[in-house]
Amino acid sequence: MNVRSLQKRLNERFGPTVSVQVKDGCIVVSGHLDSWDKIVAACTMCVDKKSGMHVVNDIRLDGVRIPKMRTPDFQDHALENAAPDVLIIGGGISGASIARELSKWKLDILLVDKESDLAVQASGRNDGEVHPGVDLNKGSLKQHYVLLGNRMFDQVCKELSVPFERCGQYVGFTGKWMYPIIWAYVWQRRYVCKVTDTRILKRKELFRREPNLNPKFHFAMFNPSAGCVCPYGLTIAYGENAVENGAKVSLNTAVLGMEVKNGRICSVKTNRGTLYPKIVVNAAGVFAEDVARMAGDRFYSIHPRRGTNSILDKKSGSLVKGIASIKTLQKNKKHTKGGGILHTVHDNLLVGPNAVETYEKENFATQKGSIDAVFAKQKLTAEALSEKDIITYFTGVRPATFEEDFIIEKGRKTRNLIHCAGIQSPGLTTAPAVALDIEKMVISELKKEKKPERNPNFCPVRKAPPVLNQLSYEERNKLIQENPDYGEIVCRCEEISKGEILDALNAPICVPTIDGIKKRVRPGMGRCQGGFCMPLVTKIISEFLQVPEERVRKAGEGSGILFGDTKCTDEEVAE
Amino acid sequence: MNRYDVIVIGGGPAGLAAAISADRRGAEVLLIEREARLGGILKQCIHDGFGLVRFGEKLSGPEYVERFIKEFRERRIQSSLLTFVTDMKKTDHGFVLRAVNRSGVHEYEAKALVLATGCRERTAKQVQIHGTRPAGVLTAGTAQHFVNLQGKMPARKCVILGSGDIGLIMARRLTLEGAEVLGVYEVKPTPSGLTRNIVQCLDDYKIPLYLSHTVTRVFGEQRLTAVEVAEVDEQMQPIKSTRKRIACDTLILSVGLIPENEMAEKLGVRLDTKTKGPVCNHRFMTEVEGVFSCGNALHVNDLVDYVSESGELSGTAAAEYAEKMGSTKRREVSLNTDASLQYLVPQKLALSEGLDKVIFYFRSREVLKQGTLVFLVDGKEVFHRKYRNLKPPEMERLELNCTSFGLSDASRIDVQIKKEGDI
Repeated sequence: MNVRSLQKRLNERFGPTVSVQVKDGCIVVSGHLDSWDKIVAACTMCVDKKSGMHVVNDIRLDGVRIPKMRTPDFQDHALENAAPDVLIIGGGISGASIARELSKWKLDILLVDKESDLAVQASGRNDGEVHPGVDLNKGSLKQHYVLLGNRMFDQVCKELSVPFERCGQYVGFTGKWMYPIIWAYVWQRRYVCKVTDTRILKRKELFRREPNLNPKFHFAMFNPSAGCVCPYGLTIAYGENAVENGAKVSLNTAVLGMEVKNGRICSVKTNRGTLYPKIVVNAAGVFAEDVARMAGDRFYSIHPRRGTNSILDKKSGSLVKGIASIKTLQKNKKHTKGGGILHTVHDNLLVGPNAVETYEKENFATQKGSIDAVFAKQKLTAEALSEKDIITYFTGVRPATFEEDFIIEKGRKTRNLIHCAGIQSPGLTTAPAVALDIEKMVISELKKEKKPERNPNFCPVRKAPPVLNQLSYEERNKLIQENPDYGEIVCRCEEISKGEILDALNAPICVPTIDGIKKRVRPGMGRCQGGFCMPLVTKIISEFLQVPEERVRKAGEGSGILFGDTKCTDEEVAE
Repeated sequence: MNRYDVIVIGGGPAGLAAAISADRRGAEVLLIEREARLGGILKQCIHDGFGLVRFGEKLSGPEYVERFIKEFRERRIQSSLLTFVTDMKKTDHGFVLRAVNRSGVHEYEAKALVLATGCRERTAKQVQIHGTRPAGVLTAGTAQHFVNLQGKMPARKCVILGSGDIGLIMARRLTLEGAEVLGVYEVKPTPSGLTRNIVQCLDDYKIPLYLSHTVTRVFGEQRLTAVEVAEVDEQMQPIKSTRKRIACDTLILSVGLIPENEMAEKLGVRLDTKTKGPVCNHRFMTEVEGVFSCGNALHVNDLVDYVSESGELSGTAAAEYAEKMGSTKRREVSLNTDASLQYLVPQKLALSEGLDKVIFYFRSREVLKQGTLVFLVDGKEVFHRKYRNLKPPEMERLELNCTSFGLSDASRIDVQIKKEGDI
């Protein structure tokens, strides 16, 4: 690459305060600028995929202190001196799936996450699409893994007892004149990119399948292999299966620093003690760059990208049966497909997401503007879509690299480190395939010392508790006879019984919070948003933990729901 | 299979009244309630003011409903508590219901159904509140459940959004329990709750009411730390320059109630877009033959006395229907309303049944010092009544003999409120 000409172009566009150089095998962009969008644009300008080097962003944002990673504000020694064979940092879909694949081996595996549950960040704020990969070009890691990952979903979801449906993806086009262009595109996708299920649906067939889409659609690009899954459900299932097979998960555990000597991580400091792992897997999502820096192996940068999704009442579920979106042929400058409408495995509709660059890695606050923009666009996909059906919305932050591709490789300088970074869309789809490759990398690294043995007790099938409302009359009746708690409905919107909530509390990874239970068995996910069941779930948790109800939390430390008994004096509260 | 003439779903004030009146009329009745105790939401309404219309005394919610529970028990009406209906189907002979409870899955058959399923509260997301998702954002009913049934405090320093009755009641309750209520914010220029509640729950405790204000954003990662409030313009859009941040640990919402009719919808019952409850005739039968609706599932009432009344009437009607099932053909005329009415219940009159005593419930769209409710049949006025101080939050009840209207299948009935000066 020609650094001088790149520097010249940078100066032309951003002035004299930015400079680029090749240092330590990285394209380092430094200096300072007055807006985050400019920083993203400057770094993106410096991308040079052919070189194999990544852009590292060292540009300061004028007048802004980038928020530090939020960490649990308690310390203990629960993990002091632990010496796992593998330390996985991050309990999202990447970390959880890697833990599960590694549990096939007789290894001491420890997964840590700073949050109070798995799948709290990107994996819990995902739209749940299992992508066909039709929008990706050949040559990227994303494309390589999306094809492999998509095919694995039937088996993985069966093993882990996670609902999955190949509901198909429709991309509608309004202009007849686009037909030849899209025909050529589809041909290229099928035969060059090997997304072999891609085809064009003519108008009649499209509306037979999805009668409520924009009547102006003339045809659509169709991928029957696209599907949907519950992203946090899958992450938790992976995590539980890993634990069933011997892996350990430590939540509320933040990695705060590392000691690196002679190109090896010797120790890892957390708020729960110092660990001495043989090998570290960096699956830290938006904080992967920070972990890489601690490990002395920062050769890429993450630029966070926020997106907001809305969930609609099940009543509107029949509007779209699969995954639908509209495509106009304007050049899409934003790195997203502009969202879509997705029929979830729980029969809600999910609408979104949009994409906004941000320097705040953990700002999950929603904004009205995001929802308005997404709805304005998606009403072009299905006219009858209505904001009135929204029951909730949430924001997630994608961990993108400037190359917009994954980083799945051993450390470049630090030898006992493996990066699984930059995992943005379609990272949920790719996870099963990526986990297999990371497993291989870990094993080949560990082999250098001593070849690990297979775990003779490995069972790929998760022992999943029953979902009562999915059972037949006879099965349901039988289970209630065995355990009457299955007959006591706590959440009326989602029809969840007390027995199912207790099952979640007794699961391999117990997260006894309102949100933890909500993610596992869905009380509070319905149209009343927990108005009726939240006090009841609070009570069940308090009875299970044998603590007063005021000790029950919504999620992390400090998110208590109650302040103690009524008619309590301040002194009593303080006690 | 357990067979009944009438199955009542819901054991709140409407369902209890329906079951009692159906039993009184001689029907074999079963009441199904999803909670462990009868009484519905009244269990947690420990404030007084219930029963003024019906009993001429001020009772607390539990006292009011206890009178019905007592009669229900004395009549030995069958009930199935902590039982949740999962499935309903219409058959040639009536309905088949499936329900679960701690003893298993059960099937029941009924000739007529009374849906007394009450209502639920609108949530923060339904009124477009944005920001983070901390603990400490809850509806007034949920707060009331915690305080009155569990004896726990969900708030220390709170802001209340919406001046619905439960919000006002909770402002007082939380104040009495030692919490600090910083203010009640109402997006509309007029309060949503009853005047008596504004006076007794806010004014008496010096809790400020901010009309034409709303909460636009919440802050806090774990527990709520603050809310942003703003004044709204005439289109109810927040005015940016008036935004203000208020530190608090709880946001309580009282922003409206939605009748719960998911089960009714599964049976094919059509809902009125104005009431969000089923379209029904004056015998409280929905458009699905044999399905009756009452109480807050039919339309959101402000007084429980009228909830009981509609329950009672629908129970009697359901029992009569079960008795002579299929022997009469439905003949109905719709009541057409214009924009002057927020809604009118019933939406139809059944021509062959009890037109001598029809009870109407309606709300005016606007606050009117004086207005006249007019009934027109084929353009000709058949009835009018003058009202003073019509307000949308205060429902009006009207009892009318419609036999003299001279109705036939082809009649067109219009109901309007004429402002003073229009006439």
